[in-house]
This record gives sequence, structure tokens and C-alpha cells, in this order.
Amino acid sequence: MGRYIVRRILWGVLLLIVVAALMFVFFRILPTGDPAKLRAGRTASAKLLSEIRHDLGLDKPLLTQFWEFMKELFLHFKLGYSYYSSAPVTELIKNRLPATISLVAGGALIWLLSGVTVGIISAIRRRTVLDRASMGTALVLVSAPEYWLGLIALYFFAADIGKVHVFPGAGTYVGLSSDPGKWFTSLILPWLVVAASNAAIYARLMRGSLIDVMGEDYIRTARAKGLRERRVIVRHGVRSAINPIVTIFGLDIGVLLGSAILVETVFNIPGIGRLNYDAITHADFPIVQGTVLAAALFIVCANIVVDIAYAYLDPRVRYS
Amino acid sequence: MSSRTLAGTSEPLLRVEDLHVEFHTEDGVVHAVDGITYQVLPGGTLGIVGESGSGKTVSSLTTMGLTRPQGAHISGRILFEGRDLVTLSDAEMRKIRGNDIAMVFQDPLSSLHPFYKVGAQLIEAVRAHNDVSKSTARERAVDLLGLVGIPDPARRIDDYPHEFSGGMRQRAMIAMALANEPKLLIADEPTTALDVTVQAQILALMERLQRELGMAIVIITHDLGVVAELADDIAVMYAGRIVETTSAERLFESPQHPYTWGLLKSIPSLEGSRERELVPIPGSPPSLISRPRGCHFHPRCAYVQPEHKVVDPHLEQVPGEPDHHVACLLSPEERRGLWHALQEGRTPHEAIETVGLQEGGA
Amino acid sequence: MVALFRRLAPGLLAGIAAVGLVACGSSSSNSGSGGKGIKVAAGILTPATESLTGGKKGGTLTVLNHEDFEHIDPGSSYFAIDYEAVYATQRPLYSYKPNTFGEPSPDMAESAPEISADKKEVTVHIRHGVKFSPPVNREVTSADVAYALDRGMNPNVANPYFLGYFESVEGAAKATGGPIPGITTPDKYTIKFKLTEPQAPIVAAALVLPVSAAVPEEYAKKYDAKKPTEYGNYQVATGPYMFKNNAEGKVLGIGYQPGKSATLVRNPNWSASTDFRPAYLDQINIQIGGDTNVIGRQVLEGSSQVQNDTPSNAIVKLAYQHYRSQLEISPGAGDHYIAVNNAHGPFKNVNLRRAFWAALDREAMDKARGGALVTNVMTHFIYPEIPGFEEAGGLEGPKVDFNEHPQGDMAVAEKYMKAAGFPSGKYTGSQTVQIVGSTGAPAPEDAEITNQTLKSLGFKTHLNLVDQATMYSKYCGNVAEEIDVCPSGGWIADFGDPEAVLNVPFNGKLIITNGTNSNWGQVNDPKINAAMEAASKVVGKAARATAWAKIDRELVEQAAAIPYDWDKQPLIESKNVDGVGDLWNIGSWDYNFTSLK
Repeated sequence: MGRYIVRRILWGVLLLIVVAALMFVFFRILPTGDPAKLRAGRTASAKLLSEIRHDLGLDKPLLTQFWEFMKELFLHFKLGYSYYSSAPVTELIKNRLPATISLVAGGALIWLLSGVTVGIISAIRRRTVLDRASMGTALVLVSAPEYWLGLIALYFFAADIGKVHVFPGAGTYVGLSSDPGKWFTSLILPWLVVAASNAAIYARLMRGSLIDVMGEDYIRTARAKGLRERRVIVRHGVRSAINPIVTIFGLDIGVLLGSAILVETVFNIPGIGRLNYDAITHADFPIVQGTVLAAALFIVCANIVVDIAYAYLDPRVRYS
Repeated sequence: MSSRTLAGTSEPLLRVEDLHVEFHTEDGVVHAVDGITYQVLPGGTLGIVGESGSGKTVSSLTTMGLTRPQGAHISGRILFEGRDLVTLSDAEMRKIRGNDIAMVFQDPLSSLHPFYKVGAQLIEAVRAHNDVSKSTARERAVDLLGLVGIPDPARRIDDYPHEFSGGMRQRAMIAMALANEPKLLIADEPTTALDVTVQAQILALMERLQRELGMAIVIITHDLGVVAELADDIAVMYAGRIVETTSAERLFESPQHPYTWGLLKSIPSLEGSRERELVPIPGSPPSLISRPRGCHFHPRCAYVQPEHKVVDPHLEQVPGEPDHHVACLLSPEERRGLWHALQEGRTPHEAIETVGLQEGGA
Repeated sequence: MVALFRRLAPGLLAGIAAVGLVACGSSSSNSGSGGKGIKVAAGILTPATESLTGGKKGGTLTVLNHEDFEHIDPGSSYFAIDYEAVYATQRPLYSYKPNTFGEPSPDMAESAPEISADKKEVTVHIRHGVKFSPPVNREVTSADVAYALDRGMNPNVANPYFLGYFESVEGAAKATGGPIPGITTPDKYTIKFKLTEPQAPIVAAALVLPVSAAVPEEYAKKYDAKKPTEYGNYQVATGPYMFKNNAEGKVLGIGYQPGKSATLVRNPNWSASTDFRPAYLDQINIQIGGDTNVIGRQVLEGSSQVQNDTPSNAIVKLAYQHYRSQLEISPGAGDHYIAVNNAHGPFKNVNLRRAFWAALDREAMDKARGGALVTNVMTHFIYPEIPGFEEAGGLEGPKVDFNEHPQGDMAVAEKYMKAAGFPSGKYTGSQTVQIVGSTGAPAPEDAEITNQTLKSLGFKTHLNLVDQATMYSKYCGNVAEEIDVCPSGGWIADFGDPEAVLNVPFNGKLIITNGTNSNWGQVNDPKINAAMEAASKVVGKAARATAWAKIDRELVEQAAAIPYDWDKQPLIESKNVDGVGDLWNIGSWDYNFTSLK
């Protein structure tokens, strides 16, 4: 097990190096990728361009740039400075991380709990009105764009622009440490929006998975033992049916940490996704590199956690 | 009905009367069990034999109350120690399940939960019906594993099912079934998933346990060879019905139903001495949604006569054999003649000529 | 003088799109403003109608901006929302009052610039008693202004326009951040510019740009040595407000959190007696980010808020229908035209350019950009509110036949096709026209209408849509690519002078072959070049207007580019905000003049 984890982590580091290298290549070779031109304005002479290139270190041979970039990154965990605000990228990411983690963690908790619960109820009340109603709702939520859901949530429930003034609206996010109460209330709507489509997906997944599992021989065995149905469903059915959910859950969280752009934008939560998006629109490459690497790191970590969790959940994996 | 029934003085432990089990599906009504009657005495063994889809498993699962969650429509009576299990509530049924009546299934690997240790699953079975501490239940679980012949049970109890061999898994399943000393053990194809040498060990184990514990056994199999030694009585099922039932000795001595003949011929080297070819029964079992008219077996029967396609046979006593019943439209003489011819090694075609029947029911 | 995209950041150009605004546009009337006949619908504010005095003192304004600042350093700042923060915290030598785009007011300067008779020297006297904000706290001297201008050539600062206006200053072109020889400070309150060419008028005019806002060298030097400079994150103020900072002067993370927020507080060292700005507000909280549909509603339905970048289409419509008094439409927000290659390909032929102009349905192009509420059909090149606009033809434009029908006139087009040597009225040459447009509404519509128009004239075309930055940097601004047609060209003047509108996009001498070229059509007419050189030296607003209007007429005559849209910028405010928009900064709310009711 220990060796397995170490191997996974080494693979993860290798993957990050590859991602870093690919990004480096992409952003320097693609036609849009001339930060000097973007900085220099629209009447830039060749002289000014070359001076700015020199300033940003863009005139060094690509291999040197690459080596310096990788050295800074992996030896000093430094990602350079924003071309615009000149702020250190690692600081910016650290600064944005709590908001994204708050958003994703809370949303994930809600969607996991609600999705799994609804899925279980739907599975064991299969073909009832309740089942059809929940699955119908799920279908709507799955197809509803997050952006649209966010607007709807705000137009109905936001304290400033809603029809009923219930929850704090866009731009009210504050850090957990500065005001836990406000942090919580400001995140209620974003959490629900992040959770909605995922909860729907998870409900459908859980339902399908549990229906499959409930047809398994070991469920029959559990019933044959004379166990209570509740115990059969929860201890024997759900315990197995949850496995694929856990796998996806880990990955979804990993991906979402780097890409909650729409919800972060609609609710104006200053997170990593928005940092990345803004940087892309301004060709602020150090930030783009930093945020993409951070996103890759989240996904790699999520993968490792999922693998470990899977081994923990399924003894057959652990021993093979 | 069986010799034991008549000879014994005790009341039957289990008596199934005119049991019907139907499933209503989108394609139509599945007549899985279509009016069967049998009984098992305390400590006795009944073998239910038939191909898959004959309703043998469904009838047993119904006895356990395990077809209820699938929405089965059940009629008839299942009397266990005088109580009709069909009419019991789910909660009452649950108290009997795994307690007075236990069941062992065909595939021990898929029947054990892959994520729980064998011990945990045994302990769960013990505690399902006994309010005992975990440690007491664990001791009992170790004993049970020892009882079914698993070496070093105190250690192996913490293994996962996938760490057991196939035979050990089935032993563990049997141990689990025995957790609450059931009065009746239903074993559904307990050896089918195992290789030949292990099959014999498991059958021997069941025999020993029955002797030691005095429980009744219903053993369900498609293989007459399996029940030859073990069963007192045998019921042969086809398309949801019992087509022949008698004691094990009589069945092997003078089988009456062409389907039974087919089953007998598909036993691999029953006594080693006969060097007959293994002959599977041609054709496949009928759909239980739209069964053939007349005798349900007629499309596969080599000896079918025109009226067999119209008249539905009922279980009738074989003349001169008081506890031998068969549902076949051939006359007793014709059946005797055919079986003799077959035993002499003739083909069904030759046998028909010997008896002077019309071929193919044309 | 700079392309439109620098002030309207890429994403924002999408702000004014076709949907929904067409209806509003058709209902607009000619109840005009500003005395220049600009059509703005009834009941809508324009910067020209707003009062600059009598605001209530005090209060906090919340600004909801979708976009982040690009640069808050006055030396690099070049974006409308950046300008509002910079002009509230910094005092360039000259600056504009909100409702004037042609008349700069002395700001850090004490009086108008003195221009020598040979137009090779400019002298500016600066005010006494203006102090830097904490932690510098000392009086501003002419040396601080000189250092600020030196920074204009420092690659760490990467000023985007300096050389364009100050190249004639002695030694400027060769400077790299050190003292520019041509800028001298005879005394603490005087700064002198010595020029190699008689370019004094344009140098003087460019002193409204934020690069002339004083920077204390002894404090800024260590930050300017960083690559890129960090002075913006430690900047000190001379204006009524300052970015909130700590005792060391650090702004980053305190008064400015990139992508999150910025806070402007009163500058304790500012003295009202030295300034024309009323500075009613006590504090300005700028929230960055958020969806334009959401922040638009927050502004319209909430209180004490404004949005200072482009509202979404749906919000402009909502404001027009239900919150008309909270909507400001600012004319003079730049223009859009189709750049056609005057140097290569079929459009070397002036008659083909004229035919193209005649055939184009400019009203359809404008509809795609939001219709009459936010556009006027462009009929020549100097745009509204810029001196010379009326002289060059006003809204109607010059009376030339290819300009007379905004919906397009195929008969006139045919006439010019024939004149170009295509007797059938259709192009029969072999060349395929390369069109490069930009993605993001409404630019693809520009490209599509352009493409259809060219096809209707018989051209074979090849249309390529790329993102805006790529369109400019790789294709339209890259001479070597020889692109024939760029439908989404646009321009906003850096200051209110016709030269700032016409010189860079149309002066053949300013074509840059190995850098970033902004004369996308490579217009290079010796007569026009000469006229521009002469007009550049003209002194005096009226004289300059006349001189440049003549050049405008010549550009129309030559159909140097195909114009279609003069932009009007919509902006929104809360009900209790007495917003004052800046005509000189595409209508953006001016923090110095805006107050709460």
C-alpha cells in the first residue's frame, strides 16, 4: 500500500512536470502569445518591443527560459509575477484559494449528501411517483446551465436584487476568518448552484448504481440472513453502490477547484477559476501558468486521494 | 407421498401446497411456479431437480420470502411447522429467514459481499437473530468455520471472500447458513460453481452436517447425480410444475417421465460402469410467459402423440407404486417399454418402434 | 491615439451587441445634447448635460466593475476604468473637466503651456504647494514631473504611447528610463521640453496623459528597477484621493487586491485650493469581477453604486425601459471602420474602395452594435466631440455620392466598379480578398456583413475569425501578412485633438513594419502625409480643427477606410448617485465630480 501511494505520487509529480512543460510550449509558440506586444500598446516600435522582451526575459533562448521557469517552479515554488499588477503569482493563488475551496467544499458536501440520498430513495422506491418526480427534476437540473441557475437564484433570492430578499447576493463573499457568519450566508446561494447540477448527476448515478447492486447475489444473501431491509440497503447495497460515486466525487472536486469560473463570476467570488479566466483574457501568462498548474495539481491530488480511497473502500483493490 | 412420509410418524416440517408464483412484467405474466405441492420431513432431504428456468429456484426463494421484493404474485400455501409462510408479514418472515430456514446459493463468490470480511458476514448472520455481543458472535463464527472444515478458522475469519478458494467460500456460505441452527437448509445448486473434487467434498460436508445437526435439507440441482446419494425424495420440475416425484431409489429404478429419462442420461458417468454417451435433452425449456399448449414438455418429447399437444397432463399415481407420481400422457405400459428399450442402449427412435408408437406425433 | 481595444478590454467589446437594442434605437429621437447635434434619446443623461457643481459632500460610492484594472501605475495606465482611478489619485500637468474633450485645464500645471515661436520648445510652470500623499509627504517639484516623463521610456514601465507623442523631445527615442536630455527643470516649478522638430503643439496636447503625473524619484526608484516595475503597488498620490496604503506605502493587498477590489480614500495631503476637482465623495470602494447582468441589476436596483465599465446588453435595455434617469449615454466613445489595404491587393484601386463604401449597409453594421441608442452612422473620420468634427461634415458627413446612403447603394457602387475598370459592375479579377475579423459579438457580424457586401460586388473572399488580440497583433497590425480587409477596426483618441484621431491610423509615415502597426490599411498618400505634417504644427484649437478637417475630407475622398459606426457609450448609476461622466474618457463616471444625493 505504501509503495503504491509513493508510486502514485511520483507519477503525479511527473504529470505536473509534463503539464508545466506543455504550458510553457503552448504559451510561447501560439500566435497570441506575445505579452510584449500586449504590454507595449498599439504603436510599439521594434525597439520598445525588444526592450520589453528583454525585461520579461522573453529574449533568452527558449530552453534557457524553460530551464529557469522549471527551476523557479520546482525548486522554489515560484511562478513569477503578473505582467499587469506585478503581484507574485503564488501570492495571488494563495489569496484566491480559500474562496474557491470554500465554494467547492460546501457545494460538494451538499451535492454529495443530497444526490446520494435522493438516489437511494429513488432506487428503493423505483417507479413510484416520488422516483419519477426526483428523476425528472434531476434531468432539468442536469441540463440547466450553471450560469443561468446562478442568475435565477440571484433574481429570486438575493437580498439586493431578488424577488424575495432572503440570502446575500453577488459580491458579498468575505473570508471565513474575517466573519464566519457572513462567509456562510454569502455562500449559501453559490453552494446551491454549484451543487444543483452535480446533485442531479449524483442522484441519477446513485440510483442506477444502487439498482444494479440490489440485483447482486450478495444482497439476496443478506436478505436470506434475515437482516432488516434497512440494513440490507445501507450496509450491503449502498456500501457497494457508493464506490463509483466516490471515484467521480474526488475527480469532480479536483476539476471544479480549477474551473468554477461561472459560479465565481456570477456571484463575484474571487476564486482561482476567475483568476485564471481573467488572466487568459489579458494574456497574463505567469498567472495562466500558475492557475493551470494549480488546477493540474488539484486533479493530480484528487486522483491520488481517489486511488487511496478506492483501495480503502474495496479490499480487492488493496491486495492486488 | 414418499416412502419416508408414509413410514415416519412425525408431521412434515415443510409442506408446500399448490404453490403458484407469477411475475408481472412488461412482456407479460411469467408463470414461474405453476401449482406445485411437496413436503419435507424433519431431518429429511428433498431434491428438486430440473433445468434452469424450471421454477425450482423461484419456489425455494418464495419459501424464504425472497421473491416478495421483486413483486411476485404468490398463491397457495407454504406451511412451515404448521404456519403458512405466504400469509406472514415481512417482519415475521424476516424472523424465520436465516433462523429456522436458511439458504445456500449457487455462486459463493458473488453471494458473499466482496467488501466485508468473512467473519463480519458470519457475525452479522449470528446477530441477526441473537442478541449477543460481538465477541460472543465472533466466537460462534470461529466455531462455525471450524465446523464446516476450514482450517485455522480463528485466523481465516479475518480474510476477505476473495482470499478464499471456491470450496472454502461455499463452506463459509454453509457456515453462515448454519449460524442459527436452522431446521431447514435450502441449498440451491450448492456445487454447480465448483470443480468436481470440491463438489464431492461439499456434498459430503452437507451429509455430515445433516447427520450431526439433524436438519432437513432441500437441495436444488439440475444434476440428478448430485442428489442421488443425498436425497430421500426427489421432485423433478419442468416449466414451473412437478412432473415426477418419488423416492430417490424409485426414481433411479423406474423413472416414468421422458424428461426424467433425459435428465438421467445427462448424468456424467453415474456409476462409472456404463459407457453411455452423455445425451443432453434436445431443445430448450419453454418461455414461462407463453407456454406450449397441452403437455408443456411436448415440443421436446421424442415420444409425443397428437393428443399430447392438446391435453394438459396432471400428476397421477404410477400404478403399483403408491408414492410415485408422474404427469405424463403416455400409458404406464408404453413408459415401461420405452425405458426398457432405452436402458438397453436403443435410441429413442428404436424405442418407439419397439413399443409401437407413432413417431413424432404426426 | 490608440486603437479602440486598449481601453475597452477584449471581453468588453462584446458588451454592446445587437440583440434587444434595435427596438430602443428606433424609438430614439433627435432631442440632442452637447450642441453638436448628437442624437441621444430623450430623458437620457449625457456627460454634457451634467452639472459639475453643487454636489453633496461625503459618502462612499461603490463601483461594481466587471473588469479588473490593467495598470494602476500612472506611467502604464491606458484603460478607461484605470484612468478614472488614476485621474482621481494623480494630477497630470493638464487634465479635462468631465464635459470637455477639446479644452484641457491646467492641473499640476499652473497655466497653459508656453510654446515657442519655432514650435521647438514647450515650457510649463507647475503649481506651488501640491504635496505627495503619505509616506512621501513632500511638495511636488518639476523634477518629479521630469522623472515621471523619464519613466515613459523605461521598459520596466512599458508605457504604451509615450514615443508616439514625445519622440521629438531631444534624446527621448534613445532613453531607457534615465533622464531624457530634452526635458529640463530650470527651477523647482518649471519644466522645459526641447524638441528636435517643430512638434510643440502635439507635445503640449499630450501633457494631459497620465505619464505627466509626478512621481518622486527617490521613493520610486527601487520599485522602478524591478522588471516589471512595482511602483504601481507602492504608488503615492497627488490628487484628492489615494489608493489605501500602509505606512510603507504599500498598496498591493491593502488598497488594491488584483481581481478582487480596490479602495480609494481621501489623500490627507491634498488641498482643494490648488485643484479644480470638487471631490465630493469620502471614499470609493471598487469591487472587481462579477457578471455584468448581475452587477447591472445591483446598480440599477441598489443605492450608492455605479458600474464603470460596459454594462451588458440586457442591462442597457432594462435601464432604457425602466431606469432611464439612471442611464447615461456618452457620445464621442470612439469609432469603428473597415480597414482596407491601400498598399496591396485589389483595394489599391481607389474606385474599388469607393464602391465598397457605397455598397456597405452601415445601418446594418450599426444595428449589430446596438442600433441608434449607442451608435451613429459614421460618415467621416473625426468623431463627435473631437474638435474638427463639425468642420469635417458633422453627423451628415461630406456630400459625396458613395457616402450619401447609409443603407448602401448598389447603383453608386456599380458606378465606381465601372470606373475601376469592371464594366459589368462586378469584380472580375483573380485575387481572393483576405478578410480577418474577430470573434466575440458583435465582431463576427461586422465580418459577415462585410463579407456579403464584398461578395455582392463580385469578389471572391476568404474569411478568418480569430480572437481580438490575435487579429491585431498577428494579422491586421502585421504589415507582412498583407491582409486585405479588417472589418473590426476601431479607434479612441488619447486626447481631444483631431490629430489624435487621424495621425496614427492614416499617416503613411507611421506605418510600422516590424513592430505593431496601427495604420491597418497602410494608407500612405504623400499628399495626406504632407498635410498631416503641416497640420501637426498648427497652434490653436480652431485652426487645428480646420486643418485636420481638411485632411478628413481628403481621407473620405480617397475612401482610405470604410467607416460605419461612431460609438456612444452607455453607463449606469444607482438612483441616489449624481454621476458625472467624462466625455474625454468614453463617458466613464468621474470619481472627482460624482456625488451622492
